[in-house]
Amino acid sequence: MEIVKCSDVEKVYGKGEGQTAALRGIDFSMEKGSFVAVVGASGSGKSTLLHILGSVEKPTKGRVEIDGVDMAGLNAAEAAIFRRRKVGLIYQFYNLIPTLTVEKNILMPLLLDKRKPNREYFDRIVTALGLTDKLEALPHQLSGGQQQRTAIARSLTYRPAVILADEPTGNLDQKNSREIVDLLKRSNREFAQTILLITHDEKVALEADRIVTMEDGRIVADRQRG
Amino acid sequence: MWKDYSKSYIRYNRASGLQICAAALTASFFLTLFAFVSYNLWVYEMETRLLEGSAMQTGKEADSIALLPILFAGIMLLTAISLILIIRGSFEVSMQARIHQLGILISIGATPAQIRVCLLQEAAVLSLLPMFVGGVSGTLADMGLISLTNVMMADVSARRTAVFRFSPAVYAAAFLTSALTVLISAWMPARKISRMTPLQAIRNADMLQIKRRKHSRLLSMLFGVEGEVAGNAWRARKKAMRISNASLLLSFLSFSLMLGFTTLSQISTRFTYFERYQDVWDIMVTVKHTDIEELAADSHNGFGSRRGTGQLGDEMAYNVALYQKAESLIHIPPDRFSDELTALGGLSALTGNPADGGKAQVDAPLVILDDDSFLEYCGQTGISPRLDGAIVINQIWDSINSNFRYKKYVPFVEEEERSVTLYSAVSEGNTAEIPVLDYTYKEPVLREEYDDYALVHVIPMSLWKRISPRLGGEEEDSYIRILAEDRAEGRFAVEDSEIEETLDAMENAAVRMLEVNYEVESENRIREKRDNDRMIMGLMVFFGSFCVLLGVIGIADVFSSTLGFLNQRKKEFAQYMSVGMTPAQMKKLFFIEASVMAGRPLALTIPLTAIMMQLMTKASFLEPKIFWREAPVMPICLFAAAIVLFVALAYYLGARRILRCDLNAALRDDLFWL
Repeated sequence: MEIVKCSDVEKVYGKGEGQTAALRGIDFSMEKGSFVAVVGASGSGKSTLLHILGSVEKPTKGRVEIDGVDMAGLNAAEAAIFRRRKVGLIYQFYNLIPTLTVEKNILMPLLLDKRKPNREYFDRIVTALGLTDKLEALPHQLSGGQQQRTAIARSLTYRPAVILADEPTGNLDQKNSREIVDLLKRSNREFAQTILLITHDEKVALEADRIVTMEDGRIVADRQRG
Repeated sequence: MWKDYSKSYIRYNRASGLQICAAALTASFFLTLFAFVSYNLWVYEMETRLLEGSAMQTGKEADSIALLPILFAGIMLLTAISLILIIRGSFEVSMQARIHQLGILISIGATPAQIRVCLLQEAAVLSLLPMFVGGVSGTLADMGLISLTNVMMADVSARRTAVFRFSPAVYAAAFLTSALTVLISAWMPARKISRMTPLQAIRNADMLQIKRRKHSRLLSMLFGVEGEVAGNAWRARKKAMRISNASLLLSFLSFSLMLGFTTLSQISTRFTYFERYQDVWDIMVTVKHTDIEELAADSHNGFGSRRGTGQLGDEMAYNVALYQKAESLIHIPPDRFSDELTALGGLSALTGNPADGGKAQVDAPLVILDDDSFLEYCGQTGISPRLDGAIVINQIWDSINSNFRYKKYVPFVEEEERSVTLYSAVSEGNTAEIPVLDYTYKEPVLREEYDDYALVHVIPMSLWKRISPRLGGEEEDSYIRILAEDRAEGRFAVEDSEIEETLDAMENAAVRMLEVNYEVESENRIREKRDNDRMIMGLMVFFGSFCVLLGVIGIADVFSSTLGFLNQRKKEFAQYMSVGMTPAQMKKLFFIEASVMAGRPLALTIPLTAIMMQLMTKASFLEPKIFWREAPVMPICLFAAAIVLFVALAYYLGARRILRCDLNAALRDDLFWL
């Protein structure tokens, strides 16, 4: 079952002479429960693709569908609601809310949605991510790896259709990078979580089931692994 | 390199610079104002002493004058320290906002000293003009203050008009203190930042941070998760908002308390003075160093032969009374006290002075009325007019069962005695026995407040003539009380402005008539009330302006904060957006923050003022409902509305600008921060 589907997606920044095409006719889809890595050099368009999938940005042209929702028709409020229900965004710089505790950060999308968290599921996630004794801490009291684990927990807690991770290990040392990738893999296996991972680290990409290579706004290779 | 870096930062972060300018201006304004107020006070005091010819006459006076500048310097130092604590936050927030950039500079080899110098240089450049403007406005504000004081105190007799004196040395001292205040405020956060390692600086790039975990219970309860987010964000920005918070709270609190106190004071004065005596006088003339006999016998002054109705200038004076006061004592045996007073525990229970069981010595003030007025008073008390005895005002304040504002009286003595022995208050052993014509509760129609535990004797002038050689004890001055109209006709209302001119004309006529031979002072009821109202109004304008000024500083700082940290707030709101916060929810965050900012001074001030006023009303023995009926609700509401309106406007503009920004850009990469 295709949970992510992009057809002929284009994204152009700027106007007139200063125009830059970040994406040029992307056709791309993902099966439910798959783990896909997108690799490419800086400026290849991979982050733009992720932002479009995360409804943070709108494509200039083309159709994007996630879990049956056509994202073209979403206004700002609908896009926000879509974001807190259907996609989980993980960034290189974590983007945790510095004034809220780890627990509140993890539960934030649910709280914004006025949904009651499933305590059992929440406990399972924080235990799996090793955050049980950090729930009352503030983000700046955590290490980089712990902050990234918090960001992952946040995106897992509401069981989104797809997790979109933008260089989640880019700011971490080798040990922590390994840990984060393992956690993503575990969530893919244990919770059947669909994951799209953007990285330029070949080693990290090799952990995924499928590797998509982008260059100059286009998909130039799409390899299924294993 | 540093110069270019700073120039470009200032150019592209104008609002952040504005906040530093506001902080420097505030510090400089208050310090200069205070310096010139102190200096002018000192000069005024010195000049007054020189003019009085008493300057430096005694070592004690010389010491007190010499100590004044030291005292002022001490207070100025305390003010500067308080200002440092307040404005330091503005510098800290502005510096923290670019900590990522500084982290990069540190990482490429900038030394802590270079970072410190760079930050201090920027602070100095940004503060120089505002410090100058603040200094000039502080000087002008002091000039205005002195002019206002002169206007307000114009009617105060024997007061010299104050003149503003400018001193370049004082201005330089104030400027130097302001510069030091600003530099120390900037140096403290600069030092902290310059000591960070590159990693610390880069990691701490997020603007919002709270040191300890806190839970905004009230806001969470009222607004859900948005309440908690906004509450914590507000708390994290508290340092930056220190000036706004302090100014708004202080301005509203001072304004409300000032209005409350002046209203209470007006009510109190009205009750204890204006309303209480409104029917007993219109014009009072104090004839200095003159006995009543001399005044009554002087046919040239016109008052000697004038009793009851007569012409005064072009106006009809309905009633004129001449009187003088004298001291005397009486001795009262225990069995002469009234049953009511005895039931209360006797005189000692009321006065608090222990009784010795024998005769009590009691003050017996004498009110010596001219004979015609005394005869008239006899008629008022219901006895046949006679001039050979005293009418005793037989009452004592029951201070056990009533307070000073709503006094209840009980009879002082039993009323069967028909004569009384008065003892001289000035020559021990001298006495005079006089008949008692009547005991009454009714006081003569005079603007007099008698001692609480004294037994007042009203006597005619002709009787005083006989007993004065033995008793003495009379006051130096005599008084003329004039009623302009028959109160029974009810033509004059207290506030009636029509009678102002009439009373002024009558007062002038009376003074003209008397000043040829006597030294006189005069008052008239309406003018006195008008002067009192004007003085209170002047006070209100003066303190009100100060409150408004504080409010303006607070509001300016709110505008500067909401519009000044757009970049930092973009990142913050981008984070909210990335976890699925809708635009409506983001607007709600701004609404909550604005509500906290505007609501905090209101929520603290209104109950505090209400409690204070309730306590003050009780302490002054007024019935609270009387105060609350006249409480200055409307101006307080208007002030509150102005705070709410301006804070709402500042947040509306800030929110509009942030929400119109491309928040996605903030998420794309961290370069956004550079």
